Amino acid sequence: MTELVRSVALLLRWNALRLRQITMILLMLQVVLGVGVIYGFAFLVPHITPTVALFFTTGAPSVVLIMLGINIIPQEVAQARTNGRYLYVSALPVPRLAPMLAEVLFWVFVQIPGTIVTLVIAILRFHIHLHVSLLVIPAVILVSLTTAALGYALAASIPPPVTSQLASVLGIAVMLFSPINFPLSRLPHWLQDVHHVLPVTYMADLIRGTLTGQYDTARTTAFAILGAWCVAGLVLSSRAAARRG
Amino acid sequence: MLLDVIELTKTYRGGVRANDGITVQVAAGEVFGLLGPNGAGKTTLVHQVLGQLVPDSGSIRIDGDDVVSKPALARELCSFQPQAAAPVEGLSPRQAIDIVGRIRGGSKEEVRRRGTVLLDALDMSSIADRPVPLSGGMARLTGFCMAAVVPGRLVILDEPTNDVDPLRRRALWQLIQQLANDGAAVLLVTHNVLEAERCVDRLAIIGDGRLLAEGTPASLKSNLGAPLRLECTLEGTETPDLPPWLTLVAANGRRLIAHVQISDVNATMSWATAAQDDRVLAEFALTPASLEDVYAAWIKTEGVAA
Repeated sequence: MTELVRSVALLLRWNALRLRQITMILLMLQVVLGVGVIYGFAFLVPHITPTVALFFTTGAPSVVLIMLGINIIPQEVAQARTNGRYLYVSALPVPRLAPMLAEVLFWVFVQIPGTIVTLVIAILRFHIHLHVSLLVIPAVILVSLTTAALGYALAASIPPPVTSQLASVLGIAVMLFSPINFPLSRLPHWLQDVHHVLPVTYMADLIRGTLTGQYDTARTTAFAILGAWCVAGLVLSSRAAARRG
Repeated sequence: MLLDVIELTKTYRGGVRANDGITVQVAAGEVFGLLGPNGAGKTTLVHQVLGQLVPDSGSIRIDGDDVVSKPALARELCSFQPQAAAPVEGLSPRQAIDIVGRIRGGSKEEVRRRGTVLLDALDMSSIADRPVPLSGGMARLTGFCMAAVVPGRLVILDEPTNDVDPLRRRALWQLIQQLANDGAAVLLVTHNVLEAERCVDRLAIIGDGRLLAEGTPASLKSNLGAPLRLECTLEGTETPDLPPWLTLVAANGRRLIAHVQISDVNATMSWATAAQDDRVLAEFALTPASLEDVYAAWIKTEGVAA
């Protein structure tokens, strides 16, 4: 465990030094993404009811967090596989999960300011009051870790040139076909069934539940199911990192 | 032997056999050269030793331990400089060396001290703290320092001298030799045959995935059958008729190389001087045969694509 912590800390330092010159730009892009979600989705719905406003307000930070695993981590892994960093790190004496955890920690750090700013802008835009629970902290950690672990496992297993295209497709699926900014009931039955298995619904429910103090039952279920997805993601990441040709 | 590679065979998907029954052994304190043309299977061998590829058959032991079944142990015991430049974008050379040295288990102070020694020896002090885009040579030297700052029992260097200027290359060879003197086994993959000759204790020549020859530079040269080489630059591009005692090794444009026996030195000097007077040769040199001759002879004999 000490070795894992030490390795993650050193690889995290590597990431921070490597990306320090563009960290501010990355922070700002996260804010732009969140604000874009808030204002962009509002154009789709001419009459914003309190329920719609609640979904948009809590959905925007969920989208920002989920994009970590859908887009950012896979692109980073694809780049690392292309420029040799992935192979180089795989020859270092570090635990298999250490590179993934170092990536996640760095990007969660970059995302947190953007997520908070997104939330504040959403509150101001839709004039709603939230009842934020302290459970939002473990919720954010669980959502980030799960999405990042799944994204890492995926990107480590497919050819790097495919990663970018797949990230675009998954991004559209999450934004338009997942119950993040609207209720699950609005989707066709078959897609609702799919979302009962996939983790996206539970990620959105968890963030929404811990920001509003509502959906207690959904929140507990979401913690449990997402916890299982998180373990699966970590196992898949570890296996992908340990895979040998 | 610290590294024992026995009958190693590796076939990639698609049927390309990159390694075909290769046996290589490297002792602690020894610099072992792995020579061969592009695509010969050298890097495939390295990645199997590092545990990144799984062989079809054969065994790899480091200090007696089977590292095919224990890849984590291979990463522990080996430090590695990759063939491509080390991924150090955004970091200064010192930061990159510090981080890898700490990851390899070195203390902060020891890593800093050892890193400074390496950077000074390679005349990199002036750029050591600048996180600027590095030239190809500097990035490669930084990669070497990352492998050497806390060296493994086995240090694997894949083409360490590529892109490096002559003076720093000389310093680099000394540092490689020093790694072996300090007790590490050094597996050196290189194309730079002439310079490697000064540094390696033993070497293997690989072609088309097979081990073609193995031994000390002296033993391989003695097997060559001709201790001297005549290297000529022609006035024109047409290869002249050579006297029967000269064995033509290579003729490429205006360059011509032939092997010479010691008993034929006087006759060769007379022929070459006359050819120079007749403006057939622009210049010539008669030198001891080198490892490059051994390498060229084996690759030519085996019909390996160079």
